[in-house]
Amino acid sequence: MNFKHKYFFLFPGLFVLIGILIFPIIFVVRLSLSGWNSYNPGLDYIGLENYIRLFTDDPRFWESFFRLSFLSVTTVILQYVIGFALAHMVWKDIKFKRFFRVLFLVPMMTTPVIMTVIWRTFFHESLGPVNDMLSVFGVAPKWLTDPVIAKFTVIIVEVWQWTPFMFLLLLAGLLSLPKEPFLAAAIDGASPVRKFIYVTFPLMAPISIGAIIIRLIEASKIMDTVYVLTSGGPGTSTETSSFYIFIKGLREFQMGYAASMSFTYLIIMIISLTIIAKVLTKLLLKE
Amino acid sequence: MDLVANNLSYKPSDQYHLNEVSFNFKEGNLYTILGRTLSGKTTLLKTIAGLLTPDSGEIEFDGKNFLKIPVWERNVAMVYQQFINYPHLNVFENIAFPLKQRKIDQSVINEKVMDALKSVGLLGYENRKIQELSGGQQQRVSLARSLVKNAKILLLDEPLVNLDYKLREQLREEFKNLFSKGLADETILIYSTTDPRETMELNGEVIVLDEGKVLQVGPAKEIFENPNSLKVAEISNDPPMNIIEAKISDNHISFEGIDVEAPQHLSKLTEDGLKIGLRSSDIELNENGHEFEVELAEISGSETLLHLKRGNTKIIVSIEEVLNFKINDKVKINFKIDRAYAFHADGKLASSPFGGLNG
Repeated sequence: MNFKHKYFFLFPGLFVLIGILIFPIIFVVRLSLSGWNSYNPGLDYIGLENYIRLFTDDPRFWESFFRLSFLSVTTVILQYVIGFALAHMVWKDIKFKRFFRVLFLVPMMTTPVIMTVIWRTFFHESLGPVNDMLSVFGVAPKWLTDPVIAKFTVIIVEVWQWTPFMFLLLLAGLLSLPKEPFLAAAIDGASPVRKFIYVTFPLMAPISIGAIIIRLIEASKIMDTVYVLTSGGPGTSTETSSFYIFIKGLREFQMGYAASMSFTYLIIMIISLTIIAKVLTKLLLKE
Repeated sequence: MDLVANNLSYKPSDQYHLNEVSFNFKEGNLYTILGRTLSGKTTLLKTIAGLLTPDSGEIEFDGKNFLKIPVWERNVAMVYQQFINYPHLNVFENIAFPLKQRKIDQSVINEKVMDALKSVGLLGYENRKIQELSGGQQQRVSLARSLVKNAKILLLDEPLVNLDYKLREQLREEFKNLFSKGLADETILIYSTTDPRETMELNGEVIVLDEGKVLQVGPAKEIFENPNSLKVAEISNDPPMNIIEAKISDNHISFEGIDVEAPQHLSKLTEDGLKIGLRSSDIELNENGHEFEVELAEISGSETLLHLKRGNTKIIVSIEEVLNFKINDKVKINFKIDRAYAFHADGKLASSPFGGLNG
């Protein structure tokens, strides 16, 4: 088609795309090649210096990245298992099915930051109700100040907050499955457990992959929970990539360096999520 | 090992799906359940398979209470009218599925699956995806899946109904071959269908089901020749048997101004409200016959079905050739009255040309 005004009609969409996506990315790349900080604000050019610093002289970034990988993979696995179990439960005809379906969605409807404040109160070491109850058994875990336990506190809150989303995706998937294979499986001699392993689970594979990838992307952005719950502490033991980039960029105003970390992070995430999606597809769909 | 049912009833809402159904199925036999749609055929098969629990009644198999055994432990195979397979597995895996549920050696599974594939004519298709098969092939896969189990009870729920005409003929032929090969001497084969022709061809013991009730049980020939009621006569004939309200007196049958001599087996009947039953194939076109008006002429396959009317009497005539008629054409027909049935006013068989009752 040769239509000379076509760019005119493309412009509105293109403008939005350039404005919110292409320009920021290009600007981040340019920014990452500059030494912009609070002493020398401005787009000067210092070459790959930021990247060299990042790859050779900043273990804190890589530690926070591996911590993030651990946190997001663990939370997503837990969310998937719990979400699948809950969805499977209310998929069958049980009493108060509708009530449970709504109940399981409640955490998702709350405001994450406020809920995290409430969780922080729950887990407060000396004043919180959790340790008050646990005192019956004579234990008082340091939920927020022990470097190891704090990670699991973050996981608990994340799982609580976002399992409903997984539940919703998986329930929608289960409800869309054809009924016939289940009839056939029962007659073919599959007990309920085998029916789940050999029919329900494989039929759910495409939906599972989608749900897991969506949640992985979401979970890697984890920031508010950490910020409110522990502020990355104790020390840096719950600090994640986005939190570290936030500290470098918006607290210490090392804009150029934060930009180089953001861009590196973006590339790593794109590559690893692609690999994860491929591996999951191969594993679950056998294709 | 017999499959015995006593007074099975199932009534999920205000209508009976099964109403006091009893039967005694013996091993090594073929049973055909004949009934119109919604007559309870599928419900009955599902109850035998264990997918449904009846409200009352009992099923015994091999002397054991079948209702207490969960579906997956009953040794039952079933082919549905929809082509049910596992969409995520290929043909081989589909057929192997029932075997994989038991602890069977992989080499034995391979051998059995290949045998089953061969018997349904799908060798070479084992790595295909189910979605890549045609309807007929999909149904063969589910048939193979049911055969491979060597189940003691094989249920076939209108397996041919969703196939096109040609495939249906072909598969029906294959079914007959499979069944006559003697699947196994100890298998109970239960086949449900709405098609009387299929019933006659399969030639097994027939159970006529209507509104959840068993109307008649007997060999196919017996059901065809001596239907015990009007309902059975309707269900076991396609097109349904013509029912004519007529009077018999002085050895003459009269209706709508037509008067024909009564054949011997009908001549003794004199009561009021008699209904004469005549198959559509027992009426023929004849120049010297009685005049009827064409209401509708439909051509199905190589035969023509004429819907005719005279006064308040409507009949269907099937003619073994393709003829073109217009609506409101006048045709002349003759009745093969010696093939006529008579039913009492309450629908019970009064007399049949094949010697039923007082014929």
